[in-house]
Amino acid sequence: MADFLNSYSIQRWLELCPQGYLEDTVNGHQEGETEAESILEDDDLRTAAIRSTVQLVVGERAALAASSGLVNLAPDYPSKHFLATQTLDEARHVEIFTERLYDLGVKRADLESTIDNFVNPHLVKFAEVLLEKIDSGDFIAGVVGQNIVLEGLAFSVFEMMETTNRVPNPKFAHTLAGTIADERRHVGFGENRIGSLIKEHPEKKPEVEQMQKDMAYHMLKTFSLSFEEGADTVDKEREAIGDVGEANFHGTDLSSASSQEMQAVLEATVISEFRTRLARIGLEYQAPVGV
Amino acid sequence: MNDPNEQAVLSEVPRQTFELEECGFREVPKKWRKFYRHWEGPGDELGPNEIICPVCKVVIRSKREIRVGDRLYCMPCMSRMIVVLGEDGTLQTDVTY
Amino acid sequence: MSEVDRPEFDSSEFDPHGMNPEDFLDEVHSFEFWFQAVEGYLTDNPYGHESGDEPISDRPDDLTESDKDSLITTLCNYCVGETAALEGASGMIAIAPNRHSKIFLATQVVDEARHLEVFLRRLQDLGVTDPEGEIERRANPTLQVFKRRLLELVKAGDWSAALLAQNVILESMEHAAFLVHATTADPVTAQILNGVMKDERRHLGFGENDLGRLLSEHPGNRRRLADIRHEMDGLVLAVFSRAADDLPGDASMREAMGREYIETMDRLGLV
Repeated sequence: MADFLNSYSIQRWLELCPQGYLEDTVNGHQEGETEAESILEDDDLRTAAIRSTVQLVVGERAALAASSGLVNLAPDYPSKHFLATQTLDEARHVEIFTERLYDLGVKRADLESTIDNFVNPHLVKFAEVLLEKIDSGDFIAGVVGQNIVLEGLAFSVFEMMETTNRVPNPKFAHTLAGTIADERRHVGFGENRIGSLIKEHPEKKPEVEQMQKDMAYHMLKTFSLSFEEGADTVDKEREAIGDVGEANFHGTDLSSASSQEMQAVLEATVISEFRTRLARIGLEYQAPVGV
Repeated sequence: MNDPNEQAVLSEVPRQTFELEECGFREVPKKWRKFYRHWEGPGDELGPNEIICPVCKVVIRSKREIRVGDRLYCMPCMSRMIVVLGEDGTLQTDVTY
Repeated sequence: MSEVDRPEFDSSEFDPHGMNPEDFLDEVHSFEFWFQAVEGYLTDNPYGHESGDEPISDRPDDLTESDKDSLITTLCNYCVGETAALEGASGMIAIAPNRHSKIFLATQVVDEARHLEVFLRRLQDLGVTDPEGEIERRANPTLQVFKRRLLELVKAGDWSAALLAQNVILESMEHAAFLVHATTADPVTAQILNGVMKDERRHLGFGENDLGRLLSEHPGNRRRLADIRHEMDGLVLAVFSRAADDLPGDASMREAMGREYIETMDRLGLV
C-alpha cells in the first residue's frame, strides 16, 4: 500500500503537469488561440457559451473547496500530498474557466453577478451535499463525493464538450483536454485510495450511498435544466459552424443529435461510469427517485 | 545622491535609461526575470536603477533611473511600493498595501 | 457584456513597473505566474536537489553520527512545521475572501506539500525507515501547540488572524530557521533548504501585503491582531530556544533574522 501511495507524490505531479502536458500552454491552451468567431459574433451563442462556462466555474469552485478541505482530513502523508496537487489542479480549472468568461466578454466587475445570474440552482445543491460531508470531517464520504461522483461527472461532461468543440473551437477544446487529463488522476485516486478505506469501514456504506443518491438526484436535475436551456441554440450553433463532420461521443453523433439525445447519452455515460467505479470500491450505485 | 537638494536638481535632469539583462534570478516567469536579481549582501553596490525590496530583500531593477515618487513592484513577494527619500538622504521605499 | 471593462496589460512591453495595481495583483496571484516561476527553479531538481549520477545515500556528506542525529531531529521538526503550513493553507482556502486569494493559497498548498515531501525524502535518505513514527518521537511539543493554535484560528474562520499566524509568523519562523541552517548544512540539505526558501518569499509577501491591505481598510483590527501576535511570539521563542541545540548557525545571523521579523511587524503596525 505504501509503495502504491508513494506514486501520488508532488514530484510525480510536477513532472506530469507543469513539466509535462501543461508546458508551453497559457491558461490551458496554446498561446495566441482565441475563441471561435462564430461564438463571439452572435449574442445568443455567446450567452449560451457563458451559461455553460458558468456551470464549469461553479463546479470547479466546489471541487476546490472540497479538495482543500480533504487535505486536512486525510489520514496519511501520501494522501495529503495527492490532495494538495488536486487542490491546485482545481484552482487552475477555476482560473482557466474564469478566463474563458472574460474571453467571452464578461466584464471583470460583473463576474460574480454573471455567475449568480446563470448558475444552475441544482448544481449548487449538488455541491452543498458534498461540502456538508467535508465540513463534518467525513474523509471517506468526502473522497467518494469528490473524487468519484463530482470528478466522474466532470470527466464525462468535459469529454463531451471537448468532442463538440474539437473542430469548431480548438482553443476551448485544448483547455478542456488539459482538465480531462487532471480529472483522470483525480478519479483514479478516488478509486484506489478509498477502496481500501471502505473495506476497513463497512459501516460507512449506507451513509456514503445515501450521499451518492442525493448527489445523483441533483446532477440529473442539473442536466435536465441545462439541456432544456440549451435546446434553443443547438440548431443555431450548427448553422453557424457549418459541417464539421462526425463528433462521436459514446456512440452518439453530437454533430446531428437533438438536445434530448445529447442529454440521454450524457446521463447514460455518467451513470454507467458511476456504477462501474462504485462497484470497484465495494459500493452499489443508488438510483435517485423522482427524476 | 545623498543630498536632498541634489535629488531636487536631479529631477530636472533627463533620466538615465538602462538595457536590462537576466542576472540568474529564476523565481518569477521568464519575461520578468531581468527586473530582479539576488542581493549579495552589504558589499553589493546598487545601480541608479536598482533598489532593495524591504519585504523580501531582492534587488528590484528598472529600465529607468529610479527617483522619488516612482512606483515599483516586487513580483517575487508581490509587494507594491513607492520610492521615498529616507532620513539619511538615500532612496528608500514605502510598501503600499 | 459586449466588451471587457479595461484594456488588457500589454505584456509585450515586459515592464512590471508599468502595470496598473489591479493587473499586477492579477498577475502575481495567478496559477500561471506560479507555474512559470517554479519552472525556473524546480526543473531538473527532483526532490529539491540536483540529481547526481550516484544514489543520494552514497554521496559523501561529512556528517558524523551525532550531526546526523541532530539533522534528523531538525528535519522532523521541519516536517511538523510544513504539515502545519499545509493544513493551515488548505483550510484557509475555504475562508479566503476572494478568488485571487483562493488561487494563491492553492499554489501555496502545493508548495507546502512539496516541502513536506522533500523533508520526508531527506529523512529516508538519512536512513529513517519510519518517518511518521520518528516525527512523532522527536517533534518539539511547543511546535505542536503552535500548529494546534493555528488550525484553531483557521477553523474559526478568522481570516486575518489565520493569515497573520500562517503567512507571517509561521513563514517567518521557518524562513529564519532555514536561512540560518542553510549556511552550515551539508550540500544536499542546503540545496533543499534554498529551494524551499524561494517558495517562502511568495508566501511571506502574500501574507504581509494582504494583511497590510486589510489593516489599512479596517485599522480597528490592529489591537486584536497585535494580541494574537504576542501570544504566538511566545510560542515561536520557545520553539527556537528548544531547537537551538539541534540547529547550528551563526548567532549574528539569527539576530538579523529576528530583526527582519520585527521590521515586518513594524510595517504592519502590529507592535
